[in-house]
Amino acid sequence: MAASKRLPVRVSAASWAGPVSIRKRSGDVVPFDPSKIREAIRKSNVSVREESLPSAALDELTRRVTRSIPQGQIPGVEQVQDLVEETLIKAGYAKTAKAYILYRAEHAKIRQSETDLMEIYKELTFSYAADADIKRENANIDADTAMGTMLKYGSEGAKYFVDNYILPRDVAAAHINGDIHIHDKDFYMLTETCCQIDLLKLFKNGFSTGHGYLREPASIQSYSALGCIAIQANQNEMHGGQSVPNFDYAMAPGVAKTFRKEYFKALGQYLNAFCSLEYGQGQALVQNAKAQVGEDVSMGQPQLYGEQLVPWLTQQALPQGGTLTAAQAQKAHDMATQTAMAETDRATYQAMEALVHNLNTMNSRAGAQVPFSSVNYGTDTSPEGRMVIRNLLLATDAGLGNGETPIFPVQIFKVKEGINYNSQDPNYDLFQLAIRTSAKRLFPNFSFLDAPFNLQYYKEGDYNSEVAYMGCRTRVMGNVHDPEREITCGRGNLSFTSINLPRLGIEAHGDLDRFYEMLDEKIDLVIRQLLHRFKIQAAKKSRNYPFLMGQGVWIDSDNLDVDEPVGEILKHGTLSVGFIGLAETLVALTGKHHGQSPESQKLGLEIISHMRRRMDEESQKTGLNFTLLATPAEGLSGRFLRIDQKIYGKLPGITDRDYYTNSFHIPVYFPIRAFDKIRLEAPYHALTNAGHISYVELDGDVCKNPKAFEAVIRCMKEAGVGYGSVNHPVDRDPVCGYTGVIDEVCPRCGRREGEGVSIEKLRELRKKFPGMPNFYGLE
Amino acid sequence: MTEGKLTQKEACVGQGVKFERIRRITGYLVGTTDRFNNAKRAEEKDRIKHGV
Repeated sequence: MAASKRLPVRVSAASWAGPVSIRKRSGDVVPFDPSKIREAIRKSNVSVREESLPSAALDELTRRVTRSIPQGQIPGVEQVQDLVEETLIKAGYAKTAKAYILYRAEHAKIRQSETDLMEIYKELTFSYAADADIKRENANIDADTAMGTMLKYGSEGAKYFVDNYILPRDVAAAHINGDIHIHDKDFYMLTETCCQIDLLKLFKNGFSTGHGYLREPASIQSYSALGCIAIQANQNEMHGGQSVPNFDYAMAPGVAKTFRKEYFKALGQYLNAFCSLEYGQGQALVQNAKAQVGEDVSMGQPQLYGEQLVPWLTQQALPQGGTLTAAQAQKAHDMATQTAMAETDRATYQAMEALVHNLNTMNSRAGAQVPFSSVNYGTDTSPEGRMVIRNLLLATDAGLGNGETPIFPVQIFKVKEGINYNSQDPNYDLFQLAIRTSAKRLFPNFSFLDAPFNLQYYKEGDYNSEVAYMGCRTRVMGNVHDPEREITCGRGNLSFTSINLPRLGIEAHGDLDRFYEMLDEKIDLVIRQLLHRFKIQAAKKSRNYPFLMGQGVWIDSDNLDVDEPVGEILKHGTLSVGFIGLAETLVALTGKHHGQSPESQKLGLEIISHMRRRMDEESQKTGLNFTLLATPAEGLSGRFLRIDQKIYGKLPGITDRDYYTNSFHIPVYFPIRAFDKIRLEAPYHALTNAGHISYVELDGDVCKNPKAFEAVIRCMKEAGVGYGSVNHPVDRDPVCGYTGVIDEVCPRCGRREGEGVSIEKLRELRKKFPGMPNFYGLE
Repeated sequence: MTEGKLTQKEACVGQGVKFERIRRITGYLVGTTDRFNNAKRAEEKDRIKHGV
């Protein structure tokens, strides 16, 4: 018989000092290093208060593990880990053993995610968005483009890094497991979510975006262009949306400046024509007028300037000799005023049109998507502010180059009694126009300053006291950190993390006490995580935000030194705990969701109130702005559900669809009247101070029924909703440009989807509809 | 047999061109539902109208 292999023996000879090599999971054979075992035991023990392992004990345990590895073959990592567990238990360190087991399990999960990372990179590289759900995680990024894919590479790699090297183990595990979801985890080390930008303050005395100084703008066109630049510059320093809370107030000075320019231009031209002057002579007269009478002609009360100008004009010797009569001078002023009004209106329209086009087409956010922009307006009753609002709505109605519906900016019309809500209110006509525009274009959305939780801050005419919403629904107003400054401008959300409520509902098995116990545990965990992230954010310096802080956009950043940490001023922002799937949670707990039974509604309100109470308590305790969020949940709507389906199967009414219902909404498939849905959801708006929204789905041709649309908005206002919008189908045929409701057949050109239509026919139609696009298809 | 291009009268454009259906996703708009992820697509399909 040939020499036999030496068999491994369980009990080693006294001289056995352990293996020389070990086989890693990858299959590589590397030198065996006992200090790794020692370190793993030490780390596990650190979290166990009841058992202590001083240095000598650690050495002894490591020795025991090493000597228990069988001789005669190269051990594997899993095998050695099994022996560590056994050794710890045998030695009486049961709790440390348990910690080690957990640590090993979490590592396994995280290691799985590394394999997943490479699989993810493969999927990103080789598949098309149509097939790969991961490429459609964010509907605004075209992940089939180079920049879009590069963005995803960076994002997935960053998430892996944060999971493995930054997050506390239990937090990483909770996220991977689907108990919680840390939003924008890729940006964990880098920045905050969003900001409400005060353009007025920014424009005063000009600003810079890094190279080159931009003077304070001097016309409505420049105000609009610089507004886009500011949104873009800020967007590149934050991972969430950028909103302008005071859009009408912010653009109004641009209108005023343009009006003045147009007035004096028209006056000069009129004088040239009327007095038969040479070019330049009228202009020179006007320059003198500006110097001696002043330049303060306003759109709202032009006659005040006229009263000064006219007497002065009659005293000027004209180059050709003679003077103007009072009547002639008055005519000059009147004509200049009229011309200026028309020209300013036109310029404002063009400026708004340019804004809408820019924000829909400049892929300036990380080269792969347009900035996520929102604008709030509706309460400026000055003639300039009104001109801005009207023209923004008209430009939105007209659409983009081929009449397409603009996607950005998200527009929010601030509804307020006494300003625009009732027929006698100064901006009521703009409210009506907003409704008509929204009926066609889905924007603006509507926010309600009279909702009690918003009204408490409101001071008429002070835009900083008017609650603004981000397009997605985020709301930042209250300020526990600085109760003197519960204002909108310069503040935003720092980060948010959502809890998987439906899972808690499922796991509670009808036991409400157990439900609340688990909910409180999760809230504790998320609070810890938000603070962990905040600590990282707080250590960043002003130099990390050349625009947001360097240009004073964030509140109180004006006075920061470039190398000063930003923690203190970040405290004006919010740390938010979010949730999705209240409806499914209620079904799990009671068998019915809150659309189906008053008892469920009662329970739903109790649950959300409880969460809000926890936030308020934490705010009081820490002096930070902890707030409760009705999470927007784009990617998350599927993620929690997919994980839960794997674990629990398809539970009827809970996990039997492909998504969880958004926040506190009544499920989209549940038949319910609009007014009832609004009334059931409204009380949740008051509880979710970090942001909320309610939608109503209306039937197609709501364009033809603005009264119905208005009735819905009024119902929202009366019910105490904070932010709401009306959904209705907006379809468009790219071939003939028809925008409206299209079922099977286009009402304009008669084609079905995918069918062709003759060029001759399109020509005929273009006579009737001059705005039609020129569609030639593929020649 | 007549050869050559179709006359203007007969030439057709728009074959294969779909209708654009713009929908709201979590509060903001996105081009068309092609861009929606699977979960939001499923949810959009389930949406019913609310009577006024």
